[in-house]
Amino acid sequence: MRSFILIFAWLVTANLAQAADFGGLLRGVLGGVQTGPSAQEAAANGNNNNAPLGNLIGALLAGQTTPEQERLIGQQIAGNLLGAAPLVRDDALQRYVNRVGRWVASTSERPDLAWRFGVIESEDINAFAAPGGYVFVTKGLYRRLQNEAELAAVLGHEIGHVIRQHHLKLLQQSQMIAAVGGLFGQRLGNRSQVIQNLIGNGAEIVARSLDKDAEYEADRIGMVLTARAGYDPYALPAVLQEIGHVPAQDSRLALLYKTHPHPEDRLARLGEAAEAAGPGLPEGRLVDKRFYRLK
Amino acid sequence: MKSLRMCCALLALAALPVWAAPGVMLRDDSLRSAPAATAPLLGTVAKGQTVEMLGRQGAWSQIQVGNRTGWVRLLSVRGGAAAQTDVAGELAGVLALGTTRRDPGRVVAVAGVRGLSEEELKLAQYDPRQLERLESYAVTQAEAARFAAEAGLARRELAYLPAPQTAARGEGERSGQP
Repeated sequence: MRSFILIFAWLVTANLAQAADFGGLLRGVLGGVQTGPSAQEAAANGNNNNAPLGNLIGALLAGQTTPEQERLIGQQIAGNLLGAAPLVRDDALQRYVNRVGRWVASTSERPDLAWRFGVIESEDINAFAAPGGYVFVTKGLYRRLQNEAELAAVLGHEIGHVIRQHHLKLLQQSQMIAAVGGLFGQRLGNRSQVIQNLIGNGAEIVARSLDKDAEYEADRIGMVLTARAGYDPYALPAVLQEIGHVPAQDSRLALLYKTHPHPEDRLARLGEAAEAAGPGLPEGRLVDKRFYRLK
Repeated sequence: MKSLRMCCALLALAALPVWAAPGVMLRDDSLRSAPAATAPLLGTVAKGQTVEMLGRQGAWSQIQVGNRTGWVRLLSVRGGAAAQTDVAGELAGVLALGTTRRDPGRVVAVAGVRGLSEEELKLAQYDPRQLERLESYAVTQAEAARFAAEAGLARRELAYLPAPQTAARGEGERSGQP
């Protein structure tokens, strides 16, 4: 019994140490990970467990997370991000962003997610999404928006990441999870610690690069959701152009440029996609009168 | 209705000087005299040409190239020339915010606002109280729909845009889902 505890303690420590290097590890393995048989096994185990957390790792590996599991992962990431950059203390602003965001999200195929939107204290120009329906815009980006349609477009891009589960897929692709999954399943530590180990350190996952195609896909979705919600579909290109106006070496764009294709490429891809779609996108509203401007 | 449109057009014109900014053509496009595909052709503008962006209307960008002014498709042009734009203005904005930028890879902020470098995100600590605050702002779908209707926004059916051919190949290769 005693030796079991010792081994257990060693494994936990090893696990934490590995988690600390999660980001670096992940970068090396992105794109080429085989999750074959072990993933299927893990999924089979996961299906027998009805607890909200369930076999989170197995479910992730098999790409079969339940909405509850997705939510828990997102909650942890969102909580971490807010630890780095808290919500702007402006109730009217936060409520406004939630109203606009929820409306845009309701035109997607996942209208029932517990969507939460927030403007965070950072002069960076960026926006973030986390699984389960969490979307954040920095104050620096919000300040550059001209009207509600542009806000809807930015939120729409992030909503695109959520509904296509881009960050979940990123987690799924990591060898780290395969290792942890094989060793422990979900049976150690408390829930928060398990998820923390899973997502790596802090809110770093939101800063990790998705592949470029995921970004282009989110752009196309953002443009369409903006149009579906009745806004001007060209609001997203307008925001991208606005970002293009900021000198690229501006440090407030450092993280955005590190994790996203250049606005020029995004505009070009959007242009190709919109052109291929034929008759063109419907016109829509900008809604600038009630657009909430920062004090 | 017609006068309303005129009014909008005038407003758009009035807003032009604020908007003027350098841009670059992303592809060859026709320069037209009005923001419509049916508007008279003024000429063509070549990919890579630097232009002055004057404004936008729907899917169209008004540009000035040399002494010609006209409209091209919004997605044919991007903002930001190779040369720096409005550095003084940007700098003033940054200074006003009390931010310095010694290290280009990182925002150093004062007044309790931390930047969002990767390192800082890595060190972030879970904040349950902020999460609680976030929850307090949640709105229902019904409430959001009411708010949208107040601004005259109505839902429209529209299919997602397919990935353009070049991108589609890359996406196909990567989907190895069981």
